[in-house]
Amino acid sequence: MKIKRQTLGAPLLETFLYISVFGAALGSRIDELEGIDYVVFIVPGLILMAWAINAFSNNSSSILQQKFQRAIDDQLSSPASPLELLLAFSLGGFLRGMIVASLTFGAASALVGVPVEHALVLIPSLFLVGFFFAQLGVLVGIRAEQFDDVSFAQTFVLQPLIFLGGVFYSAALLPEPFQTLTRFDPVYYMIGLVRYGFLGYSEVDVALALVLLSAATLALFLLNHRLFVRGYRLRA
Amino acid sequence: MVAVALQITDLVKRYPTGTEALRGVSLSIEQGEFFGLLGPNGAGKSTLIHCATGLARPTSGQIRVFGHDAVDHYEQARLAVGLAPQELNLDWFLTLEETLDYHGGYFGMPRRERRERTRELLAAFSLEKQKDDRTRTLSGGMKRRLILARALMHRPRLLILDEPTAGVDVELRLELWRYVERINQEGTTILLTTHYLEEAERLCDRIAFINDGQIVAEGTSEQLTAEYGVASLEDAYLRLVGRGELSRAHVPEIAP
Repeated sequence: MKIKRQTLGAPLLETFLYISVFGAALGSRIDELEGIDYVVFIVPGLILMAWAINAFSNNSSSILQQKFQRAIDDQLSSPASPLELLLAFSLGGFLRGMIVASLTFGAASALVGVPVEHALVLIPSLFLVGFFFAQLGVLVGIRAEQFDDVSFAQTFVLQPLIFLGGVFYSAALLPEPFQTLTRFDPVYYMIGLVRYGFLGYSEVDVALALVLLSAATLALFLLNHRLFVRGYRLRA
Repeated sequence: MVAVALQITDLVKRYPTGTEALRGVSLSIEQGEFFGLLGPNGAGKSTLIHCATGLARPTSGQIRVFGHDAVDHYEQARLAVGLAPQELNLDWFLTLEETLDYHGGYFGMPRRERRERTRELLAAFSLEKQKDDRTRTLSGGMKRRLILARALMHRPRLLILDEPTAGVDVELRLELWRYVERINQEGTTILLTTHYLEEAERLCDRIAFINDGQIVAEGTSEQLTAEYGVASLEDAYLRLVGRGELSRAHVPEIAP
């Protein structure tokens, strides 16, 4: 949060560009998807993407940066427990993601109008998504030894999974085998949940997706906690 | 009975690479002492400090800080220790004030106490004017002072100084000496590692030589020079590292 132009400004501009390019330019040709305006159809995915990528990149790069400067030693030599340290490192990205996602929602609502059909599904889903990617960021940050490791994970793993998970389209429109392949992408289910929460439309089994997402988030959290207890790549 | 500030028993640290940095170190520092740990680069000084502060996990042995086990009861042990590490490991994005305030937070100090202590330390280390500057903009000497202030923030009973005067100018070195002497007189136990033997001689009540992961000698400066049968601590040190020929006591003849 110390560098707001990068942490808040850049993601907001990105969202604005997506809405203009995909919504205004492409949207004029596509018109409607599943009975929903194309530009509105992509907003839930954009909000999810904003939260996910910011939670991930904030945590992974903050941890790596602190490891480089050894500034992390100040926290590691404090009486804070492994659980406290893990939560502190997780919440940084989680909250930044939440702020960017909220701003994105605000901006999108102002530009195109976004409904919220099932808030009780939407809110826990977005929180889980944010926490999942916050944990993933912590994991990559701890493991990373150079900045390339972080950008590799983001560019070659995260972005493709998010883009191919159907942020900009409905997977139902894809030809085979891509439609089936998409079902192996965990982000597909996350987008399904969030889109259901906003628009009331979903290609996935909402209850099952929520259970799976909770399980995956918990598993990742427990793994990170174990690594913090062991001091993996943090304590010599 | 005098309380023991730092009690290290049979400490072994083997890194995953197989390097044995500490090979059964035992050491006892009494409350209120100013203790020096001297040894060549790679002797195990920093590893010992890292084990005592939780930055490294001991392979075996025991470390007690004011009676608290540094592994099993790390909260109590770490609360009692302030570490000023060798590296200038400041977070570049924080201001000086935030650096101290966050540190106090990690050590569980209430907000009000943090604010007061921050003000007090910034004044004591002549850093008030820079309090809103980001740490990366500071000069080397200021960073060094800030690191010492940060180590003192939570009022530790044991202060560990890992080569605090490496690469600092004469004025700052003398200034730092004065600070730490005063802190020691006020009751804080100090463990100092340094390469400057003059520094150890002036500041430390007792000194231990560490070499190749083992404590090889321990005592007052006078005891050590007597033990090695030499005139100065520097000569005792040179004997320890097997470089007695470098002694300034016997100046080689210079050909005309």
